[in-house]
Amino acid sequence: MFDPEKLIRKGLPKGYLKDIVVRLFLGGITYLIVVIAVLLFAKIISDGAPALFTSKFPFVDTEFLTARNETLHVFDDLQGTRHQLPASRYNEYLAAHPGEAIYNEHTFSYSGGGIAGPIVGTALLTVGSIILALFFGVSAAIYLAEYAKQSPFIHAVRLAILNLAGIPSIVFGLFGFSVFVLAVPVITATPSDRTLLAIPLFLNDWVLSFQGWNSSLIAGCATLACMILPVIITASEESLRAVPQGFRDASLAMGGTRWQTIRKCVLPYSLPGILTSSLLAITRVAGETAPIMFTAAVAAKDDLPWQGLSNPFGILSSQVQALPYHIYTLAARIPNSEYTQRAQYGSVLVFLILVAILSSGSMVLRAKMRSNLKW
Amino acid sequence: MGIVGSFRDAHFLAKHRQSNSTSPGTMAHEESSPPKPSHRFQRKGFSYERLIKYFFASNAGLTIVILVLIMVFLLKEGLGFFPGYRRELETYRIAGLEFVDISRKNLTAHEQLTSLLNRAYFAEINGKSNREMRRTQEASALFNAFSDRIAPTRDLILNNPQGETDANTGMLATLRANFEKQREKALEKLLPTPHLTAGERRQLIDSLRNRPAEAAEDPPLVTTLAAEFAAAQQKNSEPLQAYRSTIDTFESAGADLGAAIMEMTESVTATKEKLQSADILEKDRKTLLSAASNAKDPAEREKLRSEAEAALAEKPDIDTPIQALLERRPDCIRLHQELKTAAAGIISQIPQSLTESDANRLLKAARNAWPVFLADLDAAPQKINRWKHTDMVPLSDAILSFLTGKDWVTGGEWQDFYGILPLAVGSLMIAIVALVIAIPVGIGSAIYVNQFAARREQALVKPVIEFIQAIPSVVLGFVGILVFGTVLREISVMDSLQWVPGFPIEERLNIFTAGCLLALMSIPTIFSLAEDALNNVPSAYAEASEALGASHVQTTFRVMIPAAFSGILAAILLGFGRVIGETMVVLLVAGNRIKIPDFSAGLGTFFQPTHTLTGIIAQELGEVPLGSVHYRALFVVGILLFVVVLGINATAHHFVNRVKK
Repeated sequence: MFDPEKLIRKGLPKGYLKDIVVRLFLGGITYLIVVIAVLLFAKIISDGAPALFTSKFPFVDTEFLTARNETLHVFDDLQGTRHQLPASRYNEYLAAHPGEAIYNEHTFSYSGGGIAGPIVGTALLTVGSIILALFFGVSAAIYLAEYAKQSPFIHAVRLAILNLAGIPSIVFGLFGFSVFVLAVPVITATPSDRTLLAIPLFLNDWVLSFQGWNSSLIAGCATLACMILPVIITASEESLRAVPQGFRDASLAMGGTRWQTIRKCVLPYSLPGILTSSLLAITRVAGETAPIMFTAAVAAKDDLPWQGLSNPFGILSSQVQALPYHIYTLAARIPNSEYTQRAQYGSVLVFLILVAILSSGSMVLRAKMRSNLKW
Repeated sequence: MGIVGSFRDAHFLAKHRQSNSTSPGTMAHEESSPPKPSHRFQRKGFSYERLIKYFFASNAGLTIVILVLIMVFLLKEGLGFFPGYRRELETYRIAGLEFVDISRKNLTAHEQLTSLLNRAYFAEINGKSNREMRRTQEASALFNAFSDRIAPTRDLILNNPQGETDANTGMLATLRANFEKQREKALEKLLPTPHLTAGERRQLIDSLRNRPAEAAEDPPLVTTLAAEFAAAQQKNSEPLQAYRSTIDTFESAGADLGAAIMEMTESVTATKEKLQSADILEKDRKTLLSAASNAKDPAEREKLRSEAEAALAEKPDIDTPIQALLERRPDCIRLHQELKTAAAGIISQIPQSLTESDANRLLKAARNAWPVFLADLDAAPQKINRWKHTDMVPLSDAILSFLTGKDWVTGGEWQDFYGILPLAVGSLMIAIVALVIAIPVGIGSAIYVNQFAARREQALVKPVIEFIQAIPSVVLGFVGILVFGTVLREISVMDSLQWVPGFPIEERLNIFTAGCLLALMSIPTIFSLAEDALNNVPSAYAEASEALGASHVQTTFRVMIPAAFSGILAAILLGFGRVIGETMVVLLVAGNRIKIPDFSAGLGTFFQPTHTLTGIIAQELGEVPLGSVHYRALFVVGILLFVVVLGINATAHHFVNRVKK
């Protein structure tokens, strides 16, 4: 009895249902995250857009981006019209309407004006720390990739990099506070009382005093640079190693010295990679709050960092506002109301756009480089 | 450099070739016969090339320097904590504060028990009159929201001078028109009132629509509902009369002990202040003496020294107040025994159970705590008799009190305690919530993307998850505080979800909120590391499995996951390290209440606010005086974090390395 029908297995294969269930379950989880992320962005964009965008050309509220940060005054005049004015304009209003009573006055700290101060502060902190971290990080990576031999020293360096990468950011904050704010040496004529050690320089009364840089831009930059040093070193070493060995061999065979080889034949080809990965580090630096809370950031500051300085280096020792710290202040220190929303969601949206540009830039560049660089 | 240079570089070349053929980073040994240097600088070991090399090496060494600096400075600022804390504890003992705290602990327990009984009582009544309570709450919530919206325009009318001038009348008319407009607007988008009938809701809204600006009394419906609720409470409290009076008796039983403690508190606080000012004087004297020994001018030295002599504090008299305190011992013991007799009698009068589940839970908690309370009262006389103010406080006490102390109390008038337990428990509970969510989601999606997803899906999911990683933590905290907390609170009051333990939540910022946001933060970490681990499994494993006839699901779960298990474990550990070390989210969202959560609430414990190790540093470091014991305590917390996180990371890397081998 030969029945071909019986030889062909009918219906679905045995594990088919199980396969579908597992696939649906795992896929559901995955897309759940995607949906949550999208919802998150949608919420911030929809709430922040009214603060940042306008219906008229150029469609961006430039005042919000370029004005100083001030206290917001909300009040009614006699006609019952509601005014929302930042402190400076509020004083103008009072001067222009002398003797008129105002009602229902409320003030909201940090909520008026724009966010020029925080934007500038974050830019300065980011640029400063990236310059420091790139200089030291790339140098260290060159040693690790080009010179290093297997030795206890290299082993220790690798261990240190691994450990530095894992330290929580708040511990970096403590470190920056105790080292850069309180302990690093400065040259000064009048050492402060809390100096750890004062070494006279026998020159104009100057002493090398270990009293720290106080809470300042440079202290914040140094702290942030220490924090991203491991990221920069690892990324740079990777891109240095990606340069083919033949480049080095050719240069050395032509009689170039080792430094010439590195400078002319290795660094130029690895530079795009180094810069791309440092974009990612910039994203991280721009977003960190805990390390700068005690080392550089202030909640309120009337003028931009470079205003009212006697010499250009004074900017390094001035405190700055920073966007992440500003957001923290807006979220934690002031009561939430309809008048503070513009400042709150507006700042968050600006910050998120900044971070998005940086990180998507690094993603795109990385993808482009991978396809471009084929040795 | 010339020939020699290129000759040396030829060796370098050879070495590089060799190393490249073995593995990157491992170099061959030094060549056996280095070329003879010709220049005299080179003969001494200097060369331009070598200088550059040392420059780069020193930069690599910088990482070690930074790590060492971190450890040294954390220790430098932190280690002074234990002697300082020991001295504070010593003062605490010598001044007699500790003696008072023996009794106070029992009084606090008594107060807590009373409050538990009271809460059970009210939970029972409110539970029985739940419907009325909801109705009155909803009606007044709606009315309050309405009042808030019309408040500005209404206040304008009320505040305006009610003169009869023409200008003013015209203005008043404008204001009234404004008010009416605002009143109409305020009636849009009102809160839902599921427990009110449609007719009642309409009645309430109608009464609001015609409400004049000057009206001071509540709308009729709100008043009626409040009266209904009061009547229901009255009715339901009648069967509980006996229970009520038992609670009152118990409450008054502690009054005598409370009064005695109040009296003692005054005297010991005075002693403590004396001791502290003596400490400060002594410190000043030491500073003066050291300044004197450093002074160059003999006259000035003499002057400083004499000042120091003058500043020599007379030893504060502590014996008299302590003797007075010790004379109260029999008194204290008597009060304890009285309280114990009262408490032992009362437990039998408390009902065995109540009808409402919430009330019953609270009652159970009180009944469970009762034997402990009695035992504590029993032990108290012995403790009181044994206490001596002359006992030494060893350093180990300070360390033990830091590591196992249940209170983190700072800036108080009584006594500062630096016990890390509430913070550590808070950090741990948040981490548990975060990991319970993030592990299945992160690993599940890693499996999906790596094993099941099409290439196009991968291209969609991976960047999104990478993007989540790029969101700064402060933004997530912001979202948590302004959006997620409120949404969660609204969800928790829904009737259909009342079976969830802990619902409705009391605080919108709590362990669960923080845990959810941290889960979102750690999902990318876990996802990308787990996906890497799956990627690194040799493809031959999967091929062999499928050749044997295993289905895709079988291959994934029986072959791929076991093979990548170490890597997945490392991913989980690194995610854990990230969660423990995260600061801004928990600072904003965890609720910042320094207290060990009340575990009697079962799973509802996760909806209580808490504080964390990282959050406490961020919150308090900016406010403490440099060099104080509190300041140093924060650094010790930092050391603890450092050690814990590095331990976790080291374990994770151990697993990663095992995979590589």
